[in-house]
Amino acid sequence: MSHCVTSTNPSRFTVGAGCWTAALLAVALAAPATGQAQGTLGALGFGYPVNGMSTRASGTAGAFGDIDPLSPINPASIGGLTRSVISAQAEPELRTLTFGQLREKTASQRIPLLAVVFPAKGGVAVGFSARGFLDRSYTTNTSGTALIDGNTLATTEQLTMRGAIGDIRGAVGWQIGNWARVGLGGHIFTGENTAVRQRTFSDTLKFGGTLDSSQVTYFGTAVSLGGEVRLFAGFSAAASYRAGNSFEARVRDTTRAAGTVPSRLGATLRFDGIPGSSFAVGFEQVKWSAMQSMASSRTTATDATNIYGGAEVAGPRYRGIPILVRAGYARNQLPFSAGVQVVRESRFSGGLGIPVAGDNASLDFSIQRANRSQAGFTAREGAWLFGIGMQVRP
Amino acid sequence: MFEGVRWSWSRLRGPLLALSLFTASAVVAACTENLEGGAACPALCPEQSEQFRDTTIDAVALDSSVGGFPALGIGSALLLANRPDTLVTRTIMRFDVLNTAFAPNRTGAVDSITAVDSVFLKIPLDTTARRGINPVTIEAYDVDTTARDTVPAVLRSLFRPDRLIGTLTLTPFTTGDTIRIPISKTVMAAKIAAKARLRVGLRMVGNSGQLRLRAFTLGISATTLQYDPSTDTTYAPTVVTAQTTLPGASEDVNIAYSTYGLIDVGSPTPSPTTLVVGGMPSYRTYLRFNVPLRITDSSTIVRADLVLTQQRSRYGNANDTVAVYPLVPNATSDVSDLRRAIDLAAEGRLVGVDTALMVPSDSGQKVINVLALARSWRTLTKTVPRALALRIGFEGAQPAELRFFSSEASPALRPKLRITYLPKSEFVLP
Repeated sequence: MSHCVTSTNPSRFTVGAGCWTAALLAVALAAPATGQAQGTLGALGFGYPVNGMSTRASGTAGAFGDIDPLSPINPASIGGLTRSVISAQAEPELRTLTFGQLREKTASQRIPLLAVVFPAKGGVAVGFSARGFLDRSYTTNTSGTALIDGNTLATTEQLTMRGAIGDIRGAVGWQIGNWARVGLGGHIFTGENTAVRQRTFSDTLKFGGTLDSSQVTYFGTAVSLGGEVRLFAGFSAAASYRAGNSFEARVRDTTRAAGTVPSRLGATLRFDGIPGSSFAVGFEQVKWSAMQSMASSRTTATDATNIYGGAEVAGPRYRGIPILVRAGYARNQLPFSAGVQVVRESRFSGGLGIPVAGDNASLDFSIQRANRSQAGFTAREGAWLFGIGMQVRP
Repeated sequence: MFEGVRWSWSRLRGPLLALSLFTASAVVAACTENLEGGAACPALCPEQSEQFRDTTIDAVALDSSVGGFPALGIGSALLLANRPDTLVTRTIMRFDVLNTAFAPNRTGAVDSITAVDSVFLKIPLDTTARRGINPVTIEAYDVDTTARDTVPAVLRSLFRPDRLIGTLTLTPFTTGDTIRIPISKTVMAAKIAAKARLRVGLRMVGNSGQLRLRAFTLGISATTLQYDPSTDTTYAPTVVTAQTTLPGASEDVNIAYSTYGLIDVGSPTPSPTTLVVGGMPSYRTYLRFNVPLRITDSSTIVRADLVLTQQRSRYGNANDTVAVYPLVPNATSDVSDLRRAIDLAAEGRLVGVDTALMVPSDSGQKVINVLALARSWRTLTKTVPRALALRIGFEGAQPAELRFFSSEASPALRPKLRITYLPKSEFVLP
């Protein structure tokens, strides 16, 4: 839930009056632009799970993902909104891979989330969003050899992979009184990966290089539902479930592989008992193994259990509206690996929510530090993720 | 609800602004994507590359040597040689239009030519092909006739003493870049008086020797006939370029017959098991390939060699290195005449097929890199045969030939294509 909509109000599910319904939804088709480098721990297999949370949720390491209306995870979270919200954000990542004495730095740009939510009548709100789901953009340059006519020849190979799978969601949320919200969402998972492999020989006079490309498009669907209920003494609980349907990988007109969109179960316990503050802890389980059938034997898809905790507290006031300060911590499991061991990630985060133009707009900043490692493997990966999000409430 | 918070904007404005600027700077700094990695490969790069595949195939569907190159008028040089064991040639030059009048110096008048002086045939040479350290004699004959003089036998019969109109004795190896053969003034004057034409036949006699004449320059004959239009040698000489007109012939045919050569002794005719590049008269070799589409169209070819088995040649300058120029026939299969297909072929360098250097007296396997050609096949329509032709440098003006076994030879000796390719694969799925 956006801070200006909920956090300043003791009754979290009571939102201000004034609805604005406007033209919308070109944004829904805007595919998330993502970038990630393989040859890293984070982007094996079908790519890095971007999660596509709002900058607010990112500032809490994902702990607010199930209760944040701009994070398209729990459709119930948009129920009761009384003002339209348009949100866009960017989240560049600076990554350093340490592999023995080698240190390799990469930088990637992401637009992990575009979202619009607008209210209807009777506590109902409708939201559309496009978020990054799996990011698979990287380039690797490697030296190798080729055996030709019994002779070993030096080669240089560059593999350029670009593309991502996005999650386009349309959702309806309904606030039932002041004590509960429920929601239902429909998801389309679509995107493409384009791989270009270029190989050159050291002897360019006798041997020509190769330039080969391959493209796959993905299409899958899922349904999500969720709820949030007030418990007692400032506690509330939220839970959501995404049921995945078929997920196809198509090369040209042919379905080359099929699986299932990973189902997801998440739950969050929230405490608002201290005025101006929100605390949340939660977990999620994602059944990534449902995509194993889409991958080759070189890739292992493993179900992931992620846990997180975070807080958002009111900081100093700016023009009468408090600046929100956020922090969080998460332990995640990445879905894809090249072996049996899972890549694990710990993530620390912090963030700010700064009001702009009164409560009509806000700027959110987040900064995350992720450390990734895989048991039995000496490589370590550290990443800084900088999030900046703009929310406009016309 | 925030009244209890003691923070104030005035106290934290500075740090917040600094943090905002830092965040904004980080965002801007990351705007330049750098996705290049690979240090941890192959451990973290599980995608596997398709392996290259080698194949050597008897891909030649048709091969043949086609003689008679270059076409008359196309070659820029001619050999005038007297090497009885190798090459004996003659050269014909036609001056069908002789100036019969001249303009005396500064008078503005035009006078008829009644007497001539200093009549020369001026022939530029390519000095790189001079052979012979002993004196030879170049004889010039009047080969004009009313008989059908495009027939070599008719022309050869005109090289007789009563038609000898000039001689020049020289040592080929010490010759400069031009020779001047004196022509009988009497004969020349008579031709002018009769408004007749002069057709000169040259041959070399005496010791063994060879000269390479520049036949054409910028599309016109390089040889000129020069004479003083009067016995007064202060007059500027008249210069006549070789030219002829054949009844009903096109302009290019007329140019071709203005200067051309005849071969009395040349290279041996190739056998069915032999492909010849060069020789006198010169041959070109045409090879048509039949390569599976899975290689040409569904793979990336990284190496393509035409492997030929060379036969030792003892003809002519067998120990000199010669250049072999590839030609790329690109006419459709509607052109069934190989000679025509070769005439329409493009220079190999236009598609990146380079010249090869070989020595005629060598033998064994020779490899010509045809990678660029093989890669271009996928862009051709199916009606264009996948083919290659070979020609020798200084074609028709170099007594050397390369001999290779044809597809009718034993299997081990036949032309082959050695190809290394990478099959196309769908490697995008992890």
